[in-house]
Amino acid sequence: MKSEKTSPFGTGIFLCSVVCVLATLSCPPPGAQAEDPDSSLITIYTVNYPLKYFAQRIAGEQAGVVFPAPADEDPAFWSPGPDTIGAFQKADLILLNGAGYAKWVEKASLPRSKVLDTSAEFKDRYIKVAGAVTHSHGAGGEHAHEGVAFTTWLDFDLAAKQAGAIGNALSQMRPDLLDEFQRNFAMLARDLKDIDKSIRKIVSKNPSQPLIGSHPVYDYFSSRYGLNMKSVHWEPGETPSNEQWAELKGILSNHQAKWMIWEGKPMQASVDKLKSAGIGSLVFDPCGNAPDQGDFLSAMRQNVENLKAAFP
Amino acid sequence: MIDSLYIAWKYLGFNKMRTATLVACITLISFLPASLQLLLDESERQLMSRAVVTPLVIGAKGSSLDLVMNTLYFGDEVPERISMEAADRVWDTGLALSIPAYVRFQARGHPIVGTSLDYFDFRGLVVADGRMLAVLGECVLGARAAEGLGLGPGDGLVSSPETLFDLAGIYPLKMRVVGVLQKSHTPDDLAVFVDLKTAWVIQGLGHGHEDVTRIKDPTLILERTEANVAASAKLFHFTEITEKNLESFHFHGDLSSYPITAVIAVPKDAKSGTILRGRYLSKEEPCQIVRPEDVIDALLQSIFRIKNVLDAVISVVALATVLALILVFALSLRLRQREIQTIFKLGCSRMTIARLIAAEISIIVLLSGLLCGAMIFLVNHFSNDLVRMLFIR
Amino acid sequence: MIHIDDLEFHYREGEFRLRMREFSVTGAEKVAVIGPSGSGKTTLLNLIAGIITPLSGHVSVSEVRVSGLSDSERRDFRISNIGFVFQDFELLDYLNVLDNILHPYRITGALKLDREVRARAESLAREMGIGDKLKRAANDLSHGEKQRAAICRALLPRPSLILADEATGNLDPVNKIRILDLLFRNVEDQDATLLAVTHDHELLERFDRVVDFQDFRDEGAG
Repeated sequence: MKSEKTSPFGTGIFLCSVVCVLATLSCPPPGAQAEDPDSSLITIYTVNYPLKYFAQRIAGEQAGVVFPAPADEDPAFWSPGPDTIGAFQKADLILLNGAGYAKWVEKASLPRSKVLDTSAEFKDRYIKVAGAVTHSHGAGGEHAHEGVAFTTWLDFDLAAKQAGAIGNALSQMRPDLLDEFQRNFAMLARDLKDIDKSIRKIVSKNPSQPLIGSHPVYDYFSSRYGLNMKSVHWEPGETPSNEQWAELKGILSNHQAKWMIWEGKPMQASVDKLKSAGIGSLVFDPCGNAPDQGDFLSAMRQNVENLKAAFP
Repeated sequence: MIDSLYIAWKYLGFNKMRTATLVACITLISFLPASLQLLLDESERQLMSRAVVTPLVIGAKGSSLDLVMNTLYFGDEVPERISMEAADRVWDTGLALSIPAYVRFQARGHPIVGTSLDYFDFRGLVVADGRMLAVLGECVLGARAAEGLGLGPGDGLVSSPETLFDLAGIYPLKMRVVGVLQKSHTPDDLAVFVDLKTAWVIQGLGHGHEDVTRIKDPTLILERTEANVAASAKLFHFTEITEKNLESFHFHGDLSSYPITAVIAVPKDAKSGTILRGRYLSKEEPCQIVRPEDVIDALLQSIFRIKNVLDAVISVVALATVLALILVFALSLRLRQREIQTIFKLGCSRMTIARLIAAEISIIVLLSGLLCGAMIFLVNHFSNDLVRMLFIR
Repeated sequence: MIHIDDLEFHYREGEFRLRMREFSVTGAEKVAVIGPSGSGKTTLLNLIAGIITPLSGHVSVSEVRVSGLSDSERRDFRISNIGFVFQDFELLDYLNVLDNILHPYRITGALKLDREVRARAESLAREMGIGDKLKRAANDLSHGEKQRAAICRALLPRPSLILADEATGNLDPVNKIRILDLLFRNVEDQDATLLAVTHDHELLERFDRVVDFQDFRDEGAG
């Protein structure tokens, strides 16, 4: 007959074993992820930087906003690969600029239920690009649509509308966060309105002054603020060719501009040559992509400062 | 009993033709109603399960059955087209998720379903291999379509021309297979899914070609003005969308006027659904809105009414067959009278003789049962395809 | 072995009547019964076998009053004690030769089919010269082979009495003699009694006794 007494050592071993088993059972299985504290975040993908900025300002901590275009590419003409398109598809909200911005969207498959065309509200205010050549098939065929300007956010009134569309979409997705989104949107709208007011004030000094835009991206800017601007197709990082200089000369013959507005910092040689022709250079970065420093608001504020040079 | 079965088996084996005929008669008369019931049950299950989860379908006025069969089951009958404006209209109401569908073309016998990505979420379709559609020209295959075509991600699939000899008709488009869906045991398994715009490219409403504004060959240009260049019919259109020529693809005219066959509307709630349906009540309304469940229910009612008639006919035939079988047995006994007398003389009782006959009947019935069972098993195994063949396509 | 007393029989249909005063066959005797066609010889065999029962009188076989047994008793008695050999062989064409020989064992519970019986059937078949044809279909055999198979079937249960109704009727002269020799040899081996109805007068001298059926029938019977 076995002794009913058990040794203290044996009891200790038993208790340790029980504790170990319980500890093991309470551990998550291997491969299980620790609960993601951000799993309730709204995932937002955007086709340009301004929309990213607006979404971040409005959604705040409630969203993870992704703008996947590389920093050195113009998002309007960038084409994402299938993996990136796949990431867009999985987002909770896809923000499009509209007005034909980001041509890749026309050929991509995106779920309509998640897509927001931020400029849909003001489609009737799209600006057709002058001088665009369309094509058709056969004598009476329909034209292919080309030639609508797309930098809508440079009209800060339209920018506020785009931001408003984002705010509405977020509020519908998360009605419980309506107050927060509304608050954030109000602050953003105020900032955009300040920029709008500043530009109006600056430009009012000489609104009909002839100006040259280095690239045809200032249509909405010109339209909003009543600027007298014609555009060439010059790249800030390249010196213009002889044909390009000749084109400028042709424009200047009946549009005597004293200032060229660049979308990025121009090459010194270009600046010098323009100066010798009596044309100053100032940078008004459209911020289609993220600025090297600061954010959209700081970049626009800098743009406003730069603009003052042309309207003393 | 074993001995009776043994003798009966030998007798039946010796008279193969007679046995085979009897087995065939009993098998057929048992198989017909059973298989019919099976197929009808399966058709009800297939048709109804799909219809119940599809709240509303909007399409051109006309046959609601054709509309539902084409939209839900990708049936061959293509309803009259409506325009994309119908889908936009639903979207704009804010009452329902609007999923356009364009089911018109085929690729090697499989329906091409042009739709939006929302369709996949709506139907719970998940990619098993490869990835989801990303750009124009890509397609995703249903599980059984992939098996049947022997294709997987990376392969090419050419759409079938609508008619062989129509030179001005729809040209085949070579699509790129990028994914294969998980089996869903629905008609989606047999389909080839493309973005709606790809379907329009197949139709020729969208196309890609060289930049006409830069073409030098005068035979390719009909007319050139400052604002527009009109190209001639000689201009070559790409028959495959690749990374290199993707940019060149475009659409002419307003996309909202482009054709679709239906809009699947998923209302936010019951109230929204009711309101939405109310908007299509007007007589001037060119579109109709239907509840697939109602349409299929009506179809099944018709089928069951026909089935009742068939059941009555089969019952009469079965009765006639049974009577004929009884007659065959009776005549057979008469022919075997001498054999019966012999074994009676040898010492066989009447009960044993009855047992021998019963053993023969039992074996015949058992064989018929086995054969019938095997046939029903086959029908059950292929019921999915049979139902599609008989009731849908 | 067989004893008949004051037997009277007639069929339900028709006018045929049979009356016999007394008729006996001793054990191990080989008796031939002759008589004109329609005189009732086959009816006699059926009465002895207990297939039919007389209206009056007695039929005994091996001291058993067969005419007094019930249907099932007569059947069981018949299959265990009496072997039948028919003129037309009466083999079942859907069974092979072995199965035909074993057939009585399959149609009654009174006989038990076991390995010993199978071995005996094969041995009997070999004796009869059809040992190599056991797996053949019955229809594939010649007349003589068929009758040998029928004799095997009749002899297999080791009956004490063999009733042969025109057993050589359908055989050619050579086979008649051959079959009769085989039958006689096996009957003698088993110490059985043979009662054979026959029209073959050339074979009569081989029997122990020849009985003219007319001698045992009462005058006036139909």
